[in-house]
Amino acid sequence: MTIQTSTPAAAPQPSALTSYINANPSSGTHLQFYHTLALQILHNLQYQHEWTYLRIHTHSPLTKTLLPRPLLSGLPPHRIYVHPDDQVEELKRGGDPLKGEPEREWVLPTHLAEKWSLRRFGEVFDGIGEVPPTEAEEEIIGKEDVEGRWSRRERRGGKRVLLATLGDDSTVLYYIVHDGIVKPRQN
Amino acid sequence: MPASHSNPAPDLPIPIFQVSSKVERYLLYDINTVTWLRQKHNILGVLIGTLPQIPQQNVFLGLPLELQPEEARILVENGLGYIVNDLDWHTKELRSKSTAQIEAIKADLHKDGVEVARQLEKSRQNQARLARRKFRSNSSSSSSSDSAIGHNIKTRADESEETLFDNSSPQASTPTTFAPSNSDPKAWTITPATSYPLLSNPPRPKSPSLPEVNPCSYALFKHLHSQGYFITPGIRFGCQFSVYPGDPLRFHSHFLAMSADWDEEFGLLDLVGGGRLGTGVKKGWLIGGVEGKNTEQGALEEIESTGAAATRSNNHEARVRTFCIEWGGM
Repeated sequence: MTIQTSTPAAAPQPSALTSYINANPSSGTHLQFYHTLALQILHNLQYQHEWTYLRIHTHSPLTKTLLPRPLLSGLPPHRIYVHPDDQVEELKRGGDPLKGEPEREWVLPTHLAEKWSLRRFGEVFDGIGEVPPTEAEEEIIGKEDVEGRWSRRERRGGKRVLLATLGDDSTVLYYIVHDGIVKPRQN
Repeated sequence: MPASHSNPAPDLPIPIFQVSSKVERYLLYDINTVTWLRQKHNILGVLIGTLPQIPQQNVFLGLPLELQPEEARILVENGLGYIVNDLDWHTKELRSKSTAQIEAIKADLHKDGVEVARQLEKSRQNQARLARRKFRSNSSSSSSSDSAIGHNIKTRADESEETLFDNSSPQASTPTTFAPSNSDPKAWTITPATSYPLLSNPPRPKSPSLPEVNPCSYALFKHLHSQGYFITPGIRFGCQFSVYPGDPLRFHSHFLAMSADWDEEFGLLDLVGGGRLGTGVKKGWLIGGVEGKNTEQGALEEIESTGAAATRSNNHEARVRTFCIEWGGM
């Protein structure tokens, strides 16, 4: 029996996710861990859930201060949240509440092993408005948004984020977190 | 008996009975107080009275009503109630009563019992008479339409009437000769829910004592209560409070609530589990607590200290922040 002594093979090709993370180095504002986490969630949203117009926010669009961690925003392929009152109105009209125009959503990347507290949720919500701005809008906000028309836009139900929780096996769980008391949907 | 939709307000403040100084459980015995608090102040409590013979029967419980410590506290803070040590008050008051007074109360209760028994007997007889009259008119109308069959039915009806009612009233056409109405029916045993006829209203203490509460859960309870929500203990649903937008008899609950300190750490798995639990039953998972600006001077500590000192004046309106979690559906 001959043992085949193979020459040391070249390292396997990096995965799509690894190459994506390598191709987008951190700007150094946050810990590398938070940056990588955000990228992995972004990758999941883009390729598994078909989100578009995704972007990473390192600074608050309201106060321009550093966010506790990078947040994402993007446009889902369909509405992911309909306020129960809108739901009822749409049903009365005979339509399908989930068929409405999709809305841009905030996404908060987290890891399952993390510990969270009310303070940390409070800090996240203090840094964001109700509607996440696109890149173009953020430029407007920076220059001529004196009345807060772009940064303080409102939507029914108030501020909300999509809490994306990454598990060790790359599963990502998505939960909607509202700031304040918002009655539940009747799905 | 007062109509259930317009209960008269009880004399304020109402006594809230703490079982004893060692047992911090708060009970209400007066049904008028209980319904009034439910209608006007969103205070539900939990009915805990059961039948001694069938204690496992727990679907339809009755008086007394046990208040959650948070409910008792909010009533005292709002000046609607005051805490009375039930054991002390009863022992003291009962000792001061003479045997004659106690006997008089017993005689009163017996008289009430007789009255109840008489009323019951009367309504029974009325029902029997109505049933008989209905039966007769039915059979007579059918006899007019078809004499042959009608006659048969009538005779049968008369026979059955005799066998049915012979024992109780031999001459049904003359109600004056009803046997039970002459004799005194056996008195019912009345168990009053309150001790008021015998004992005078418990005195208000000069320095009202506040029920001990967990400051963290009390802050959330108070916040939700001030928004008009009805709150019941949530242990059955895997949370601290179940929160209803109206009376639980009319509404499903909206939230499963948990309180936490501002810096209390919780695992994200708890949040995921709670969110999933709530969404599965069309509710939101609500987590909330008193907002603290920085760790050294948390508003929570303030509440704790004021709670202990029982002074409400320097208790700043601490801001309670809440977050609702629902499944994202993706």
